[in-house]
Amino acid sequence: MAEGDNARLHYFDHLRALAMLAGVLFHAALAYSPLMQPWWPPADRATLPAVDLVAWGLHLVRMPLFFLVAGWFAAHVIARRGGAALARQRLRRIALPFLVAWPLVAWSLSASTGWAAMHVEHPSAVLALVREWMQQPDPPSPPPGTAHLWFLYYLLLLSVLHWVARTLELGRRAAALLQRHPAWVLLGLPLLLAPALASVSAPHPAPEGLLPTFWALGFYGAFYALGALIHAQPGWLARLAPLSTWLWCGIALAYLLFLRGLAAAPAAPTASWPMAALEALLATWLTLACLLAGRRWLDRPSAPMRYLSQASYTLYLVHLPLLFALQYGLMDLEWSAGTKLALSCAGTLAAGLLVYQLMVRHTPLARFIG
Amino acid sequence: MNLNLPVVRLLVLKDWQLFQKQLALYVLAGFVALCFIGLGKPWAFYVGSLMLIIVLVASACFSISTSLLVERKDKTLAFAMSLPVSPLDFTAAKLAGNVLTFAVPFLVILAGTLGVVLATPLPDGLVVYSLLVFAWIGFAFAVSLAVAMSVESEGWATFAMIGSMVLINPYLMALGQVPAIQTRIAQDAIVWTPEAVGLLAVLGGLGVVVLAATAWHHARKPAFY
Repeated sequence: MAEGDNARLHYFDHLRALAMLAGVLFHAALAYSPLMQPWWPPADRATLPAVDLVAWGLHLVRMPLFFLVAGWFAAHVIARRGGAALARQRLRRIALPFLVAWPLVAWSLSASTGWAAMHVEHPSAVLALVREWMQQPDPPSPPPGTAHLWFLYYLLLLSVLHWVARTLELGRRAAALLQRHPAWVLLGLPLLLAPALASVSAPHPAPEGLLPTFWALGFYGAFYALGALIHAQPGWLARLAPLSTWLWCGIALAYLLFLRGLAAAPAAPTASWPMAALEALLATWLTLACLLAGRRWLDRPSAPMRYLSQASYTLYLVHLPLLFALQYGLMDLEWSAGTKLALSCAGTLAAGLLVYQLMVRHTPLARFIG
Repeated sequence: MNLNLPVVRLLVLKDWQLFQKQLALYVLAGFVALCFIGLGKPWAFYVGSLMLIIVLVASACFSISTSLLVERKDKTLAFAMSLPVSPLDFTAAKLAGNVLTFAVPFLVILAGTLGVVLATPLPDGLVVYSLLVFAWIGFAFAVSLAVAMSVESEGWATFAMIGSMVLINPYLMALGQVPAIQTRIAQDAIVWTPEAVGLLAVLGGLGVVVLAATAWHHARKPAFY
């Protein structure tokens, strides 16, 4: 393996760990977001308007970044050990953990939400609905969903599509695009993503259903493909780096417009084209800007980041059930939203890391989710 | 007579490598079909289901036609005879290669279809009906493969392929005439009626018997011709 590859692994690993932490913060923040009050089960009556200023930026970057990193690592495994090795790895590290964790996560989320619906004195709008639904004599069962594990589900689907793309040699044209000036990707990719984002609400939802959707495969698949293509052209990021300042200026402007649009637009089943275009621009630019920042600041070994990176998969699996349980417990307390947010983040991280340390790190489970 | 497993594996790999581009296309088409169904609109459900059936039938016909009929035309067998391969090895490789080529898109699409039915407001009764449709396609594939392996005539092999697949239409009509099956489709519960289970067992069993008989017949052949 080339020296460059070794060095790049550090910041890709560290970015993955930071994206995971951003995920915990994002999910925790939703409970105190004024925008999410009608939609989020642990939505608290104490809200923090500042949450909406930050959370949606995290929302637009963390999953695209995850998928980009996943595509990069997939290409890395294929380059080093071949497609069959990637298939075996995906079965062991994605399919199996998904199949085992899915019922456990579904049960724990359902159990905590059911408990909260019946016991919380100040329920959210969703909890109130759940309470009504539970009091029906013969309540219909909700459609099965993957909850936050949709990332694993889509990663499996994209792994199959990765094989399809490699077999049909679909990457050639896209690879040629990366050989042009990086501005082609900065402006071209959002053009491809905008239709996908215009077909769903803004901010875009999580594709939690069992059916694959065009928009999610197109949106996240594009970042996965970009990660794989960047792996094949390691010099591309160096060519992008001089545009970093312009990129951050563009992000600041686009994000201001996006927040303005979010505040002004009524909730609709599909986003307006300008909003979809802003989301597409922000997702692309933020993801690439994070990649550049990671390349610049995180490209060195770091013991704490390495530990977090190793724990990130376990954290990802357990964080939402832990967070929901904690936030349901906090709902009736007369504390400020900021205090509750800090407590729920810290509590979830501490409990998640404890699970990793006690149940995964030094056990056979590390082979699967370590 | 013993199987030369390394050679059988190589022959299957050869088929896999030759056909994986087309297989990839079928898998891609299967994804598109599932995404159409996922749109949750009646027209999209119709387009998606039709596309799924087309993909399945096409993948079944493709593997047989390419690995047996075209190879026969190209005199590939003459080349295979020059290798340290017995008729049994060659038969086993052809059977395994075809079943694998067909099974990949078949199982992916079957899993996707069952997922669609169970995960959406579609009535769960469609699970049994979908399985009956898939069972027919599996059975038609087994018959087509057996005929293509057993006869030298391309015409008969093509006839068996097209005939068995086209018969899905009267089969679907016949299913519609069985009250124990028809009335359960719209129910939001999976009901295993004796008629449905019997039909699944008959189609599955016949498919296995047809393939086993073909393998047994070829295994007894002392020479390729």
